[in-house]
Amino acid sequence: MWKNREQMPILETKHITKHFDGVYAVNKLSINFEAGKITGIIGPNGSGKSTLINTLTGMIPIDSGEMIVAGAERLQRVKAHEVASYGMTRTFQDVRLFEQMPVIDNILVVLTERSIWKALFEKHGALHLEKAEEVLKKVGLWDKRDELAKNLSYGQRKLLEIARVLAMIHCGVGDINIIFLDEPFAGLFPEMIKIVTGVMKELRDQGKAVILIEHNMDLIRELSDHIYVLDSGELLAEGKPGDVLARKDVIEAYLGE
Amino acid sequence: MDIIPQLILNSIIAGAIYAMIALGFNLIYGTAKFFDLGYGALTAVGGYAVFYFYKTLGLDLYVSILLGVLIVGVIGFIVYKLVYSPLRKRKSSGMVLLVAALGVLTALQAIIAILFTSQFQTLSQNSSSEQVFNILGGAITQTQLVTLIIGFVIMIVIGLVFRYTLFGKAVKAIGDDEEVSKIVGVNTENIIGWVFFIGSAIGGLAGILIGFDTGIEPTMGLSLLLKGVIACIIGGIGNVYGGVLGAFLLAFIENFGIWHISGEWKDAIAFAVLILFLLFRPHGILRK
Repeated sequence: MWKNREQMPILETKHITKHFDGVYAVNKLSINFEAGKITGIIGPNGSGKSTLINTLTGMIPIDSGEMIVAGAERLQRVKAHEVASYGMTRTFQDVRLFEQMPVIDNILVVLTERSIWKALFEKHGALHLEKAEEVLKKVGLWDKRDELAKNLSYGQRKLLEIARVLAMIHCGVGDINIIFLDEPFAGLFPEMIKIVTGVMKELRDQGKAVILIEHNMDLIRELSDHIYVLDSGELLAEGKPGDVLARKDVIEAYLGE
Repeated sequence: MDIIPQLILNSIIAGAIYAMIALGFNLIYGTAKFFDLGYGALTAVGGYAVFYFYKTLGLDLYVSILLGVLIVGVIGFIVYKLVYSPLRKRKSSGMVLLVAALGVLTALQAIIAILFTSQFQTLSQNSSSEQVFNILGGAITQTQLVTLIIGFVIMIVIGLVFRYTLFGKAVKAIGDDEEVSKIVGVNTENIIGWVFFIGSAIGGLAGILIGFDTGIEPTMGLSLLLKGVIACIIGGIGNVYGGVLGAFLLAFIENFGIWHISGEWKDAIAFAVLILFLLFRPHGILRK
């Protein structure tokens, strides 16, 4: 099936299924995500987009099916603490930060040395601060570095989550290659949207697989190289955004609702 | 001798002990998010470990204390790995963990009683000849002075570790949102293991110091733990500094409360304070 490494998807799902009380949130879903591409996932509310990401990042267990990371690692289940070591990270639809910690600490903690012994005695070094400064400046939160995360505005909180992803890529465990963004644009001002789209394009150009869940069709069209349309936990359509978004069944299921 | 300086001094000494207990408890509670009753028994484990090394084996005092602290830390870590960690992985409720911790408390106390009998023991060699210092008109023994100094050193060290190290940030992050900590690659299992080691070691050290000041018995842990917990609740549970603040406040209220009445009222006063706080300021003085 795969011809060479270049075209091999970095993450595949095979018949992933998850149901809650008899309702299939995700039903035998087999889709691929490729490196160096932005893959959009769209679908009406309750179509299983977030559930899919939650299963793939170990937040909830998979009922059946498996995921294949980098064509090699076949996983029936993934645990939340292993997600980063498989090269994956994510943001959350309902932004999840370390609320009681200052903005800069939210970033520094991601840069924590994996060796506890070192971390125990090591003050965050100049290198860590430099990285933290770099990612916070990128999202425009450097001036807010000493504020508690809970005191940020909604949009700033979303940006901090993006900065945390960037920090993981810079200095986290292993290489982060797969980045799930769950509605990163919701509630953002236009200039903030520009920052996030910039970051996403940069990640794509660095060869990362960026997976975008989004309701804003203009942004999906602008950013996605490939999209999947989910409906009731099943795959309704896939392909180039221009083609897929013109399909009648897609419009009926989603856009025309 | 004037009574007020002595009351103040007693309060500070008791406060330092409570603060250590509260510090260890808060560390564990703030990170692992359950009520670790077993932590109480670890104070006794510390006392008895030193009793064994120092009195039975006749090792050097400082070597004995060091070994005692390390052993308590290791036992705390082992208990976490064997009991709490598997339960937490299964996402057991706080009630299940509480019952498990009660089991740990009872088991540890029983093991100590089997090995050392339930008799009250003291760690100091010759308490009658102990040096007594006069500070600001109050009397303080050498042991108490050492307790005070160690207590403050530990508070400062823990404060610094939390403020400035990456480990401290990771611990805070886990307390804040453990699931997200995992997702962003913080090695939560390892760090919680270390928190149990450090927290237990602090509790053990408190037990050792009490052993030198007054004495040890297998069941000493529970009442100490309760004092530590009261300190945490009135100071602000899960807040490391709150626990220390609450400890000194509690110690002052206890000691000044019995100014004109008998010492047996201490516990009654402590729990009355607890109830007042639970009723009128359940978050404690410092909110987390």
